[in-house]
Amino acid sequence: MEKKLSQMKYEEKGRIKEIDQSLRTKVAGMGIREGKQVEMMTKQPIKGPVVVSIDRTNTSLGLGLADKIIVEVEG
Amino acid sequence: MKKVLLMGQSNVGKSVLFNRLAGARVTESNYPGTTVDFAKGRVRLNGEDVEIIDVPGTFSLEPKDRAEEVAVRMLEEEKEALVVCIIDSSKIERGLYLALEIIEKGCPMVVALNMWDVAKNSNVKIDAKKLEQILGVPVVPTVATRGEGLKELVLRMKKAAPGEIEKIMEQVGGKSGTHG
Repeated sequence: MEKKLSQMKYEEKGRIKEIDQSLRTKVAGMGIREGKQVEMMTKQPIKGPVVVSIDRTNTSLGLGLADKIIVEVEG
Repeated sequence: MKKVLLMGQSNVGKSVLFNRLAGARVTESNYPGTTVDFAKGRVRLNGEDVEIIDVPGTFSLEPKDRAEEVAVRMLEEEKEALVVCIIDSSKIERGLYLALEIIEKGCPMVVALNMWDVAKNSNVKIDAKKLEQILGVPVVPTVATRGEGLKELVLRMKKAAPGEIEKIMEQVGGKSGTHG
């Protein structure tokens, strides 16, 4: 199933399917690119950032960014 | 005087490496017009006096904040400088992203695969020789906190060379100029 990265639930895993063109180069330096495995670690309340695990690294992303990343969720 | 820029993403051990290399002769400076601090030191490396600069950490060369802007500007202003690109070996992929961007700028470079011990402990295996062959610049595993590999790193600075993106792409079989 496809969903936005920002819509992933706690501990949900998936693979990045699409990243909005406008932020591709912006997030590439953080190891975020299409085809990467991600796991949702934490979601901060009140429109706070989400923390995802990529390559054993926890990376926090603003909600605005997470909204523009599409993930193919497992299961 | 020749300049050596220590560049890398945040939390990869740039400052530890800097302190190891520079010892006590360190001055803290402010980049004009910003509030971003960085440290400079003078050392003798391979029989030559050089100024080493601890550049603020940056994820990529497309700056997202003030500190990253400073990092990018420093790289652009110091065309003749030698760049030591420090990578956290346990997070090598994103480190290589920055390394390739610096190679694209055409600076002579050495790569320090720092936190080699951490990578080893988390079962990340890296063929440094092969990486060196692909990138065309010296690649040295280091553990800055314990001073391991620093001697070799300094020695290999003599061999620092600008990498060639085209050649790298040939070896890995990709196309140049495509992002993401």
